[in-house]
Amino acid sequence: MANATSTQVAAPPRFKTILGYLLWAVVAIAAALCLAAIALNRGERINSAWLVLAAACTYALGYRFYAKFIAARVMALDNQRATPAERLENGHDFEPTNKWILFGHHFAAIAGPGPLVGPVLAAQFGYLPGTLWIIAGAVLGGAVQDFVILFASMRRDGKSLGQMAREEIGKLGGFVALLTVLLIMIILLAVVALVVVNALAGSPWGTFTIAATMPIAVFMGWYLRYRRPGKVLECSVIGFLLVVAAIFGGQWVAQSSVWAPVFTLSTVALAFCIITYGFLASALPVWLLLAPRDYLSTFVKLGVIFLLAVGIIFVRPELELPAFTRFTDGTGPIFAGKIFPFCFITIACGAISGFHSLISSGTTPKMIAKEQHAWPVGYGSMLLESFVAVMAMIAACVMHPGVYFAVNSPAGIVGATPAAAVATISSWGFPVSVAEMQELARGVGERTLFYRTGGAPSLALGMAHIFARSGGGQAVIGFWYHFAIMFEALFILTIIDAGTRVGRFMLQDLLGHVHPALGRTSWMPGVIATSCAVVLGWGYFLYQGVRDPLGGINSLWPLFGIANQLLAAIALCVATTILVKMHRTRYVWITGLPLVWLVTVTFTAAWQKIFSPMPRIGFLAQVDQLQAALRSGTITGAQIGPTQTLIFNARLDAVLCGVFLVLVAVILVDSARIWAGILRGTRESSVAEAPFVLSRLEAEQT
Amino acid sequence: MKKVLALRVLIVTLLRELADENAYRRHLTAHGLVHSSEEWRKFADERFRTKYMRAKCC
Repeated sequence: MANATSTQVAAPPRFKTILGYLLWAVVAIAAALCLAAIALNRGERINSAWLVLAAACTYALGYRFYAKFIAARVMALDNQRATPAERLENGHDFEPTNKWILFGHHFAAIAGPGPLVGPVLAAQFGYLPGTLWIIAGAVLGGAVQDFVILFASMRRDGKSLGQMAREEIGKLGGFVALLTVLLIMIILLAVVALVVVNALAGSPWGTFTIAATMPIAVFMGWYLRYRRPGKVLECSVIGFLLVVAAIFGGQWVAQSSVWAPVFTLSTVALAFCIITYGFLASALPVWLLLAPRDYLSTFVKLGVIFLLAVGIIFVRPELELPAFTRFTDGTGPIFAGKIFPFCFITIACGAISGFHSLISSGTTPKMIAKEQHAWPVGYGSMLLESFVAVMAMIAACVMHPGVYFAVNSPAGIVGATPAAAVATISSWGFPVSVAEMQELARGVGERTLFYRTGGAPSLALGMAHIFARSGGGQAVIGFWYHFAIMFEALFILTIIDAGTRVGRFMLQDLLGHVHPALGRTSWMPGVIATSCAVVLGWGYFLYQGVRDPLGGINSLWPLFGIANQLLAAIALCVATTILVKMHRTRYVWITGLPLVWLVTVTFTAAWQKIFSPMPRIGFLAQVDQLQAALRSGTITGAQIGPTQTLIFNARLDAVLCGVFLVLVAVILVDSARIWAGILRGTRESSVAEAPFVLSRLEAEQT
Repeated sequence: MKKVLALRVLIVTLLRELADENAYRRHLTAHGLVHSSEEWRKFADERFRTKYMRAKCC
């Protein structure tokens, strides 16, 4: 009887297992079919639903099988082992948190402008290269990096990447990691500021809306501190309503003959406004501007991403851009360079981003209740970020190719007048007319949409197109365009003020070794000096970007991509070292292969950016070209000064690129020395994990 | 219906977590304090100090 009962009880799980296998087989077949559909389609427009399905099915497979394999075999995640959140619970940083809450928290922290802007720029190659890289890069690289670093930090009481690099690789590794992060921060702030400048230049509607967010944030700060302390959600709702009102106000300003000129600013004027803002915001009390804006931008960001997902699923727009464009040969107008390596560095955050390793070794490991939760939080959040990148790619590709290139191409490439620009773009096989562009600009309440480089305006156009088709039609497209611009600028400005502050702390940390007073965050002269140094650092690159005749994105975005991916290489070096030290040598390919790929891509890209003979790619070739023009006398008079500045800037970019390479090469060699020592048995293989403590939470539940 | 309610609770909890309202509640509970304007300001100052020493993602 007992046997019969046990047989009856055992049957359903077997049935479930078979059903499970069948289900996953269907998902795998669907993924293969969708990927084949988007990869093999030529000459016909493809529906965005194929991209969404291909991504969703591939993510599901990666999450269910690859991440589970890593969790079980490589990391041996153990719920019996108390996490730092449980052992060190203090009601502040260390707090066991529901895994889905933490998932949302971590996703909100890793989702920045990168996965939105990068795919829009990479769409110049067509939708296919970027989409495949986003999906494959995230499943095999980005999510793995985030997951392993989160695991490593969780096992080390929530230590940062720099601390882990110092402990696992050595003092040199820790110092190099800190220096690399600081330099990357400078480039990151410059490039995201450039995106905002290009989005707002000559746009009184956009400029007014973004300017209005500053007094709104100050009001929120006051409200939260003195009027209704602690009511952050209530305050954020009020702030959101005020920002929406500011968008409507912006429309009125744009139509006003008095106010429109006041808010119509050039790129240089906007650059100086943002530089001044960056300094003030980093010096002002955090509660007054930064914190309330950060709350607001987090909620708006999550809301817009959700809306965009719903909009794409509801509208299922067709992609207008082809699978491949003619610019796979490296002559693209947005940035120069072939698919390999430039597609893979242009899209960083949606596929693999070194910055995520800072978040995975920041707050998140201190909030994980059980070790198994690192799987959905670390790996799963990155998949969602990757999905955001796919949505951005879709938003870029729903535009007519001619419009896409007219918006994103700089005047230095396509011609200084609208007529010249449409002639150039049409000659590439992407027909577009001045009338079409004027009609589009009028529809969204802008004077012109030519030369709006940086990715933000074209993303806003794509998003507005999708939102308007979801409801409201052309009547509301202007609102949605400026809503999207506001959404992008809002959290980019949050990154600028928070990043300037963080850069200041890092610089103080470094300078504190030279002169201890400079390291004290309470010493005002040190605070002001280091704030100025950081603002001037990214401000210079921003100014360089807005003055660049080829469009600053051409030089700065690849530099940022290289830097970000090199940081990922550092994170993967740390992760690989930890796996080797854990005697998981046969699994080192899990972090080793993405590391090899990143080193190949970034070193190739950096080498080409420095030494390519094509002036649009190689910084030194650009220097030679400009010097030759000076020598031959084709540049004369007032143009000599700016040309010499361009020569200096190109040399500076080349040096910076070289410094990145040297720094990462140092960490690579240092890590390889440790791996070789451990594998040969000449070096002790000790990991710096916190000791095992039995989990009380798990015991209570079981 | 239960699942919808559970989802609603999850979303509200997530929003409160992102808004630091849950962290504030935990802070009050952990230290046996009651809410006051002064207590919020103390909590917020400490919270923001640590929060904005870390890099924000790109």
